[in-house]
Amino acid sequence: MKNEKRTKRIATYVFLILVSLIFFFPFYFLIVSISNPSIDITRGKLLPGSHLIENFKTMIETTPISLSIWNSALVSVGQTIISIFVSSLAGYGFEVHPSRGKEVVYNIILLSMMIPFAALMVPLFRLFGTISGIAPALGIDTLFGVVLPYVSTAFLVFFFRQNTKMFPKELIEAGRIDGLSELGIFVKIFIPTMKTTYAAAGIVTFMNSWNNYLWPLIVLQSPENYTVPLVISAMGSGYTIDYGSVMIAIFITTIPTAIIFFVLQKYFVQGMVGSLK
Amino acid sequence: MFSKKHLFLSASAVLLLAACGNGDDETGDTGEETTEETSGDMNELTVWTWDPNFNVKALEMAEERYQEENPDFSLNIIENAQEDVVQKLNTSLSSGVDTGLPQIVFIEDYRAPSFLNSYDEAFYPLGDYYNTDEFADYKVAAGSVDDNVYNIPFDTGVTGLYVRTDYLEDAGYSLEDLEDITWDEYIEIGKDVYDQTGIKWLTNDHGDLGIMRVMLQSSGVWWTEEDGTTPYIADNMALKEAFEDYKEMNDSGIMNVHNEWDQFIQTFNNGDVVTVPTGNWISASIMQAEDQSGKWGIAPIPRQNIEGSVNASNLGGSSIYVLQGEGQEAAAEFLAATFGSDVDFYQDLVTEINALGAYEPATEGEAYEQESEFYGGQQIFQDLAEWTQEIPEVDFGQRTYEIQDILAVALQEYLNGADLDEVLQNAQEQAESNM
Repeated sequence: MKNEKRTKRIATYVFLILVSLIFFFPFYFLIVSISNPSIDITRGKLLPGSHLIENFKTMIETTPISLSIWNSALVSVGQTIISIFVSSLAGYGFEVHPSRGKEVVYNIILLSMMIPFAALMVPLFRLFGTISGIAPALGIDTLFGVVLPYVSTAFLVFFFRQNTKMFPKELIEAGRIDGLSELGIFVKIFIPTMKTTYAAAGIVTFMNSWNNYLWPLIVLQSPENYTVPLVISAMGSGYTIDYGSVMIAIFITTIPTAIIFFVLQKYFVQGMVGSLK
Repeated sequence: MFSKKHLFLSASAVLLLAACGNGDDETGDTGEETTEETSGDMNELTVWTWDPNFNVKALEMAEERYQEENPDFSLNIIENAQEDVVQKLNTSLSSGVDTGLPQIVFIEDYRAPSFLNSYDEAFYPLGDYYNTDEFADYKVAAGSVDDNVYNIPFDTGVTGLYVRTDYLEDAGYSLEDLEDITWDEYIEIGKDVYDQTGIKWLTNDHGDLGIMRVMLQSSGVWWTEEDGTTPYIADNMALKEAFEDYKEMNDSGIMNVHNEWDQFIQTFNNGDVVTVPTGNWISASIMQAEDQSGKWGIAPIPRQNIEGSVNASNLGGSSIYVLQGEGQEAAAEFLAATFGSDVDFYQDLVTEINALGAYEPATEGEAYEQESEFYGGQQIFQDLAEWTQEIPEVDFGQRTYEIQDILAVALQEYLNGADLDEVLQNAQEQAESNM
């Protein structure tokens, strides 16, 4: 009986170790490849080499990587803060102050999740062409133009509404009795209570924004405004590709998302399962 | 509790402002530039292109040469992946928003006809700026609509049969045995070499029909008719033969199959194949493996068993286009003075980045005569330039990649044992219904 349990457990561990090795392998290859010259990378070498400094130099010389990291950081942080604030306000409103009309609006918002971005691209670009004519600071080729379409996203509104269902309504009553305004209740009670939800939404939004590709590609024109994915994509296009510098650029840009994930991991899991202390 | 909330709010306010502020700055800058440009002469031209080691380098060299006569001139080169340049250009042109459009753009020859036909008002004709007769006909044709020339040809995708001569000699063959042969003969030699050495004869990706495009162009046909849209599949003898040869290579075991571009490079860098029949732009990737120096040679590409088929073809290559609008003349003049007529510039292109243009007068120059140590002392540029002039002209039409996708599925069915005529007939019908 005991032995049977043990073999079961061993089998589970072997399986899990194998699976985690499979998941870890691409990352291992990335780490090893940053120190190998292009030829060794294409030959599939799996041990570290001595080409790290050369790769780093080539990358710095040929790409505006540091500027693009700064741009990406601005866009991601800005988008995360603005969009979770706006979307949580909407989700809160739909749940706490419901009405029949609002349900219709909410369903329309949900339906908009079904439209692929590629179908919206050309009209959206036209719209931004017009915006550029009126307020160039918000239009084409600005970082704000990258963020603007994501200020309110259907997914976040939905996510916040679902989580607001678990927010104790008594707290709202208590706030009203103590003389808080409706916005005051939201800012002073709702936000602090729901911080795991905010953390989860924050991670998802930050990662989406950090990795966002199609819209920044279309809306940004000058290389000074480019975000990281655009720069890396350009590095990998050509008759001969210097895989060494591509690998090191990818490695550097993976770090921020990894850090954010590990720091907020605890909240992330809590927020996703929707628990509330 | 209170202080935490205040911190959060003020932090978000600051960041929000920072994001907006940055946007302001950036547009402030570009705004100034645009007013400068529109008020005076256009001294800075914007270019959209890809490939930092090839297209961008070539542009920088051209810019430097042009600056000797025009010291105020400069280029603003914007680099994206090729698919991204296509995506950006498509979005801008189809939405009719011209904010931020460049003056100059690179387009791959296979994609050019669909751009020229879809947005006929967008491109500026360049035929009067340079002597089109001095360029290989097939390159000029790729950028022409109804006798209007819209392109200045850049790199030729002239093909060669890149061969590991050491493997070949081990099996008792020499490079000469591969000259002036058909694909059938190529396969026969391949089987023999594979039997003797155990090394695969070539490598291919079943989803990328590049080798079929090479075969078709050597016979002067394409998978669309001359109107550029009607599919030419079921009755296309060249395509039929290409399918048969491909299956023969696959079934006889002489072909290695790869799935990704990096695997393709890996096979020859690792010495796992004897021949690489492809465009000359592969040279830099082959030469990465310095330990293989002296072990390579280049033979002309095999031809098909079809009347008129020649031992010369093309794979890939791009041309340069000018968009209509502010600065179109300045852009055309710059391109005409460099890519359109500068023999010495083409020598530098060969020497510095191994870029082969399609400009005939340039091939007389010194750079083309150099012997390549890596290729066993062969005058590779001379040979490739000679083959460039023999490449048959075909109309790439507007559906090269779309029909390729249909044919890739057809090829898979055929390799799995389906009847060839039936497979091609189905592909023909599918391509017609997509029109």
